[in-house]
Amino acid sequence: MSAVTLDDLSLRDIQLSPPLAALREAYFRAVPEVCTERPALITRFSLEAGLFQRDRITALDKARLYRRVLENRAPVLWHTRAHKRTADGLEEFTFVDSSPFAGSTTTRFKGVPIYPEFLALGLWPELWTISRRKANPYYISEDQVRTLNFDVFPHWLDHSIAELARARGADEDRRRMQLLQKFVFFLVSKPNCISHTIPDFSRAVREGLRAVIQDAQAHRDRAGDPAKKDFYQALVEVLEGIIAYARNLAGSAAAMSNRETDPARKAALAEIAHIYRRVPEHPAESFREGLTTVWLCWTAVHLENPNVGLSLGRLDQLLWDLYRRDIEAGALTVEQAVELVGYLWLKIGDHVPTVPNAGEQLFGGSGSNQAITIGGVDAAGRDAVNDLTYVMLRATELMKLRDPNLNARYHPEVHDGAYLRRLCEANVTTGATPALHNDRAVIRALTASGHTLEQARDYGVIGCVEPGSNGRFYGHSGAILLNLPSALELALFNGRHRHFGMDAQISPESGNPLTFGSFAQFKEAFRKQLSWVMDQAVALNELFGRIHQQVYPTPILSALFEGPMEKGQDVIDGGAALNSSGIAIIGLADVADSLTALETLIYREGRIDFAGFLDALRKNYEGYDWLLTRLRDPHRTPRFGNDDSQADANAVWLVETIEESLRGKVNYRGGNYRPGYWTMTNHAGFGRLLGATPNGRKAGENFSSGITPNSGVTPFLTSALRSVAKLPPECLANGIALNLKFTPDDGDRGRMIDNFTAAVRGYFDADGDRSGGGMEIQFNVTSHRDFVEAVNDPSRYDQLLVRVSGYTAYFKDLNPEMQKEIIDRTEYRLSSGEAVLYETFPLAKGAAHG
Amino acid sequence: MANAFTRTTLRLVSPALPGRAQDWLVRSLSQPLAQQFYGQITDQFLELLLRGMDLAFALSRDYRRNIEGFRATYVWKTRDGSLACSAVFHDGNMTVDTQARPNPDVLITFKDARALWAFLLSEDQDALDSILANTVEVEGNLNYIYKYGFLARDLSKRLGVL
Repeated sequence: MSAVTLDDLSLRDIQLSPPLAALREAYFRAVPEVCTERPALITRFSLEAGLFQRDRITALDKARLYRRVLENRAPVLWHTRAHKRTADGLEEFTFVDSSPFAGSTTTRFKGVPIYPEFLALGLWPELWTISRRKANPYYISEDQVRTLNFDVFPHWLDHSIAELARARGADEDRRRMQLLQKFVFFLVSKPNCISHTIPDFSRAVREGLRAVIQDAQAHRDRAGDPAKKDFYQALVEVLEGIIAYARNLAGSAAAMSNRETDPARKAALAEIAHIYRRVPEHPAESFREGLTTVWLCWTAVHLENPNVGLSLGRLDQLLWDLYRRDIEAGALTVEQAVELVGYLWLKIGDHVPTVPNAGEQLFGGSGSNQAITIGGVDAAGRDAVNDLTYVMLRATELMKLRDPNLNARYHPEVHDGAYLRRLCEANVTTGATPALHNDRAVIRALTASGHTLEQARDYGVIGCVEPGSNGRFYGHSGAILLNLPSALELALFNGRHRHFGMDAQISPESGNPLTFGSFAQFKEAFRKQLSWVMDQAVALNELFGRIHQQVYPTPILSALFEGPMEKGQDVIDGGAALNSSGIAIIGLADVADSLTALETLIYREGRIDFAGFLDALRKNYEGYDWLLTRLRDPHRTPRFGNDDSQADANAVWLVETIEESLRGKVNYRGGNYRPGYWTMTNHAGFGRLLGATPNGRKAGENFSSGITPNSGVTPFLTSALRSVAKLPPECLANGIALNLKFTPDDGDRGRMIDNFTAAVRGYFDADGDRSGGGMEIQFNVTSHRDFVEAVNDPSRYDQLLVRVSGYTAYFKDLNPEMQKEIIDRTEYRLSSGEAVLYETFPLAKGAAHG
Repeated sequence: MANAFTRTTLRLVSPALPGRAQDWLVRSLSQPLAQQFYGQITDQFLELLLRGMDLAFALSRDYRRNIEGFRATYVWKTRDGSLACSAVFHDGNMTVDTQARPNPDVLITFKDARALWAFLLSEDQDALDSILANTVEVEGNLNYIYKYGFLARDLSKRLGVL
């Protein structure tokens, strides 16, 4: 059987079955519900084991803890109840579950898992009000409030990662933590999680966990170092725990089957019992068993690692053999495969991250960002697209879920046009997914940052858009989110920041810009301030990383990863085959355009002097209408995104300077630091806290998203794509998000998809010989009118899926600033490639901040 | 604050009362604080909040459970230095000082009473705004702030405001 045998790549005749459609409908109705099972068990067993008294907690300590939790978790098979929003608050409703996949991340249909080891205590003040907050409420019962308030949270007051770091760090670290708490310069995410990575499910699927246990036992028995012996025993403990959980689910399914009177449901339960007795302990022998193994391991990974950016990797490659064998044997139809994948997608979305109200307002709307990758090339560079690629694509179209976040790989020199066209068609159908990645550029970026060619070719997408070798790369791609315009601010004001008042010297002086005689001098000042901001963020990341090593080893992840078994080392200690820390840079286009504006108006034309420009910034351009008009006119002031050599050169200089500032930095696991350009919703959050910038952006306005040129100043699509494609992929190894908005305009769907495909191919081919072409691109294909109506009547658009800057989200869940930012993004008509002009969308009343 | 005699007396008497009666007493004796919870903020907000907590700890067994085994020192001060006070939790008690104690677990510096109210009690985005606008600054263990935020809101719930 060849890899692609489908006659119709779109599989348009396949629709959701009524039971799956009904379950999906219940899913959309359900609000997330806080689940206290995990924190209660973790706290209880930590107390019993005396872990709160330890300065160091070993992988074996953690493994014994997780094994007990896995053995004692409630074996949830089918959910029957959830809560929905009504005019009077939250109300319970019932539904019929029909999933072939038993077990769940929490005990709830759509749960909020609580990780008190990290930032969950931020929910404490809101426990009585969280079920009625305006932004994304969670259901929580009074009993659960009391459990968290009395039995869980008090024990973690001094034991969360952040507070251990504050207590164990030096005074300088505490000063940096004060900077972190201001939200102005950077976010460092290790107090919340590491997570962002792709586990390796291949051994679990192909050999079964029993074989991995036996391997760990053999390593343990051979090891001379007691610490290594303990580590291998830790792997045994957690894998036995996962098997125990599967057996509990099997037992529960068998008992339910015995009680069930409906013949179809009785048989379905018996089948679940049969499968869960076999896997994940033994090798998967069918496609469904393979999916089940992935699912059960996935729930275990989330028991240990917070649900932020953990990703599943290349499932169409992992499960292809099982799928093919079942199809060839007549044991599976394509329709049944789509159905199974649809059910798995729904399971994967069974949890949402814990986000306090302030987080919802700043960064809200994000799911757990569980990326799945399809397509691409194999380790030898050959076409790896197969029928399962198309099955997963069809399931994604039918389910239209925020999680999982589907990403498709395309190689311009390997893949045919039909595959790319199908990917573009899926974007038109869903409005926002999958994101598309150019293998040629990504592989070049990864090999430049330490992957071998084979490892790079086997990359999967992590979290939003970050590439890393599948199952062997512990990259914490979201370790740092760095506000690039804050470095510009410090350079403009010689180490001061308007947010803190001009009396406070925040960073070392880099020279008074009024005395600079050349643009090169200003760039040097910017470079110094960038280096300072970067150093603060990296130092904190290192501190938090060391705290993780002291108290939060991750034996479950280590058991499902390439490297720890060979090295006898937890991933947190550098056990993975590949290590790194990722930095997401926010505000690239704003800084690039600001540099170009200063260069053009002050140093080239002498149209205004530096003192005058700073006065305009301080006054938020009040009284400087001429300057604002000039800055916002791309025909008179060069802007990144118009294929303009001066503006694009500044953008290239920036990404090269950022890469250079990280070169030589080695993280606590022995890995490098990699920059990327994706922003999630942080371009709105960070934008609120900065005054006017020299590119004509006014105080408090959003920065541009991802690596995307600024909205409203790039009238032609092809020019925008060419500018972005000029950025060298070697400087973008932590991924990019190029966010484009297309108007579904002329009614001729076929022609629209053809134009769509041509635009993407042009971007991936642009400057291909030199740079590899554009690296990544993602879309919103929804009309301006629909977006505006969705703001006015969210209930009619409760399933409207959008690409934010990396991940997908439901438009209704986004804060007003983010909704405005998406509506105001430059929108291109596919028929002509020209931007469509709309009035700037007004921010909802009362939504403005700061 | 209630003096030691009053506090002890209330603690001795309150167990004889049902929980709802305990909450009724707290509500009846904390009317000025309830007004603050409704958003009518005055400069006495912090003092009234601490007094209300003190009363609730004395009267309500359930509320008192929040501080059993809890040891922490909080210091509040206004940015201009015009007001400073401390609350020390120990052995199931809270004692309040009208000066800043040294080496607190958490130090909260705030611009004015409204900023502090917004930070601790507002359900909307005022709390976020107070941080973003630099009207409240916190040094020390943030988890202690979260706990205090719960205590404040739990009290407001008992006062029938939440």
